[in-house]
Amino acid sequence: MKPRLSARLHTLELPLQSMPLLIPSAVVAEVINPSLVTPVPFGQPWLYGVIGWRTLVVPVVSFETLIGADAPEHGTASKIVIFYPMGGRRDWEFYGLLVASEPRPQILDGSQPAAGQAELPDSPYIAAGIKLGDKVFAIPDLEAMKKTFYPV
Amino acid sequence: MADLNQYLRLRLGEAIYLLPSTTTFTIEQRDNLVTNKAPEGNVAAWRAMRTERIPAYCLDALLKPVRRQNWQRAVFLDAKPQAVGLIADEVELLPRTETQVVPFVPLGLPLTRNGHLFSGAWLSGKHVALVLDPKVLITYLQSLGV
Repeated sequence: MKPRLSARLHTLELPLQSMPLLIPSAVVAEVINPSLVTPVPFGQPWLYGVIGWRTLVVPVVSFETLIGADAPEHGTASKIVIFYPMGGRRDWEFYGLLVASEPRPQILDGSQPAAGQAELPDSPYIAAGIKLGDKVFAIPDLEAMKKTFYPV
Repeated sequence: MADLNQYLRLRLGEAIYLLPSTTTFTIEQRDNLVTNKAPEGNVAAWRAMRTERIPAYCLDALLKPVRRQNWQRAVFLDAKPQAVGLIADEVELLPRTETQVVPFVPLGLPLTRNGHLFSGAWLSGKHVALVLDPKVLITYLQSLGV
């Protein structure tokens, strides 16, 4: 009998100015350089603006602002991570997250310890945390984000 | 009067917005309007009618009311109980065949109970112009008072 292999999860580390996020690679459509960002009047504070991507117009979100942290300053290394539409949403509803620099791949094998609550920002948009080496990563709660993004 | 296959391209400061021609509108030159000389208030000018005067508002690129003098024309949107005007730096009719509007809905709660202020977007190269929802725009303008 073959030994059971532990599941390996391909993830992406999204560097933010505060704590990095860890997300499944499969939810990401593309990582792009920030292009011309158009502000959305009367948009939520966390809605950074919209960009043209492929043939679509994609809203770009600041996760830091969403969780109530200071609005980040974005430099030349900043990227926009384009996410596939959330479950149940229409096929054109891609959205972007502004990150501080190029995302890095990380592979989880189940051996990484969970981060304690005290090590994570207190926010409904953070589902859990995980430790990789001496770094703590926050795992965003995509369901909570979905409820906020699409309240109706 | 525009036909139904057109968008009105409005430049407000540095921003471009589109307005579908599904709403009835009239473009008036400044010379035909009565400017508000009082420094206070949101109304920039009025269009004098026989029995009423219709306010026109000057908005900045983020659609906040501003008072400034260097404008030339206003677009008046037909509405109940009263029409309302929006001052624009440039106004141009675009044929829909030249204007590929894609679906777009802002994330988060809408501005008004009538919904979001934007109902689509026009992607021209890398430039995005948001498409105003006429009903919500009218509600917003009518809320600006005097």
